[in-house]
Amino acid sequence: MTPTNRPAIELAPPQTGTGDAKVLVPARVQRNAVLHVRALLAHPMLTGLSRDAEGKPIPAYWVKEVRVTYGGDPVARFEWSSGISRDPYVAFPLKAAREAPLTVTWTDNRGAVFTQTADIRFG
Amino acid sequence: MDLVGISLSRRAFLAALAALPLLREEELPPAAQKVIRERFGDRPIRTGHVQLDAPESAPDGRTVPLFIESDLPMTPADYVKSFHVIVDHNPDVYLAGFHLTPAMGEAAIDTRIKMRRSSHVRVIAETSRGELWSAAQMVYVTMNGCV
Repeated sequence: MTPTNRPAIELAPPQTGTGDAKVLVPARVQRNAVLHVRALLAHPMLTGLSRDAEGKPIPAYWVKEVRVTYGGDPVARFEWSSGISRDPYVAFPLKAAREAPLTVTWTDNRGAVFTQTADIRFG
Repeated sequence: MDLVGISLSRRAFLAALAALPLLREEELPPAAQKVIRERFGDRPIRTGHVQLDAPESAPDGRTVPLFIESDLPMTPADYVKSFHVIVDHNPDVYLAGFHLTPAMGEAAIDTRIKMRRSSHVRVIAETSRGELWSAAQMVYVTMNGCV
């Protein structure tokens, strides 16, 4: 089968709210505990391999890079292809060494930048 | 030990087990071999110290949960610098690189990936000292997820 006569894959309805971002951390953590951070972004993550109902290719659109900073210091960087699922979810550990904001920044291949911050608080 | 009528000594059996990782290397399709050679050259890649948790069968290739974790230390002197995720039969064989720092306290990543078809999923953990550790798992996919 050549790409032109391949049937269009039925996609879920176009989503709204691309760029809605969440960074979830426990409300109160103990000093030096390793906590579980969950980061979620609404993003279509298109590979560029699928076609719409008229058979036209849908251009690739995906998050290339994710940067995580804690109190301004870089703690993690993720380098993604379009092989990460739609509405990309990533969870990772973080050692709560101090009370400081945790910021996650997503950058997509069209240059759009999405940022979300959560505060790490002791209690 | 008697396996299917073939008498196999304990030692021979263990030797056969030890040879298994080599077999797995030979199974590497050319695209995956190319990616590994470009990224790591001829550096030795050993099996172990990294765990890969993925379903054996994934009905929907659009979201395959993937959990990666390592028991290697996360100290400023010696830590897991990166997890490299390779999916043999995906359009992008090098699916993602997760670059970590000791400030994380532990080395673990939880995410969801797309898979075009049944394939091995491989993860290579690279330490700050340059060691490479790997794990692989076969995931059977029913529906193409590369949309």
